[in-house]
Amino acid sequence: MELLDRYLQAVRKYLPTRRQDDIIAELRANMESQIEDRESELGRPLTRGEMEDLLRKMGSPVIVASRYQPQQYLIGPSLFPLYLYVLRLVVLWTLIIYSIVIAVVLPFASPDHSDIAASLLRTPGVLINVAAWVTLVFVAFEFFAARYPGKCPPLTCLADNWNPSSLPPLEKADVTGRKPRSFTQAVAEVVVGFLMMAWLLLIPGHPFLLMGPGVVVLRVAPYQLAPVWWTFYWWIVGLNVLQLAWKTIDLARGQWQQPAPIRQIIFKAVGVIPIALLLSVRDHIYVVLKNPSADQLRYGHNLDVINNSIHLGFSVICAIVVVQLAWEIGQIVWNAYRLREAAK
Amino acid sequence: MGHSMTVAENLFESLRLELRRGSLTLAVLAQLRQEHYGYTLRKDLAERGLEIDESTLYPLLRRLETQGLLVSQWREEDKRNKRFYRLSPEGEQILIRLLDEWQAINASINRIFEQPQS
Repeated sequence: MELLDRYLQAVRKYLPTRRQDDIIAELRANMESQIEDRESELGRPLTRGEMEDLLRKMGSPVIVASRYQPQQYLIGPSLFPLYLYVLRLVVLWTLIIYSIVIAVVLPFASPDHSDIAASLLRTPGVLINVAAWVTLVFVAFEFFAARYPGKCPPLTCLADNWNPSSLPPLEKADVTGRKPRSFTQAVAEVVVGFLMMAWLLLIPGHPFLLMGPGVVVLRVAPYQLAPVWWTFYWWIVGLNVLQLAWKTIDLARGQWQQPAPIRQIIFKAVGVIPIALLLSVRDHIYVVLKNPSADQLRYGHNLDVINNSIHLGFSVICAIVVVQLAWEIGQIVWNAYRLREAAK
Repeated sequence: MGHSMTVAENLFESLRLELRRGSLTLAVLAQLRQEHYGYTLRKDLAERGLEIDESTLYPLLRRLETQGLLVSQWREEDKRNKRFYRLSPEGEQILIRLLDEWQAINASINRIFEQPQS
């Protein structure tokens, strides 16, 4: 019976603490009965091999013990769809915000751009970290819901309490044959748009929101942003307000399905204006010294490098946006031509 | 051919387990109209054609007891302490309803199979 004792000892380690003695006592009684029956049939004690076969058939101690756990999954089937939705949203926005932070912080913190590669390589780690936290929160929900079923508010009520009359209208097929924009997508765009607007408006008072820990570097660095950035900033805010207002009105009027390619082109075209404003700044002065008289000699060269880098960066961005704009205009013209030909 | 057989076997096994899962609970509740302890319950179910692993049955008994469908007590038998289970009053009510449900499903499936194939 030494093997049985060792087996039960191994099972005990993985059992819920409160019920270990009770479960092991029951398992022992059942298994000893089984062994006795087998030995009666054979008319002799079991050999070691036969005992091992019996225990193997019983199952690995970890698996056997896990079946006594009240919760058999980290996130259950009722909560999983919501978890997946939240996870995707959070990871996506983390990626967007982290990318913006890299794009804005690093040119100031590291003029020779040596940290860009390192920061980019850190991206998967950041995303995994965020995903782990979201998962942990939902695991905690599942844990407390399983152990205190009457006390936890049911998160699945979002799925249970719904009204068929509030379903969105039928989606019309896009004339170009593309998949129509879904209601969820339209709502998500508006929600995210508002969050983005709030973030934008908070940046001047809380630069940490844009630069993260890099704000400390900016405070101690001898550089500061030139006034042209305020113009750029308010253009960006204005464009976002306009776009958000238009999307909200569309959603409220039930017109979110209707594609608005012309409007998107207009927004994109107007979006080139703030970039063009930056590019037109005299002598490409985007960053200035806090104390020119004291620091010009020491940091003047670095300042030129930074300003030229920013100018180059925005030139590239402008070129990309213009090419995209031209492409989209071309697509609209082509589709209009195709539709006209098809109608003939 | 070999790979698709394995896939088919795996699929069958997965569906078979799903089919058995609910049936096992009904079988266990039905058998516990009479008092049993874990090992004898397993033996009796096996004699009636329903094989069930010990590692599945024993935790299932605990779970059904936690849900209030079974009651248990430790008792000495053959110089050994054993935990005997039987249906609780609530378990008896649930068993009757589950049995009705089972018979309704059985009858429906039989009707589906009996209908002429067009």
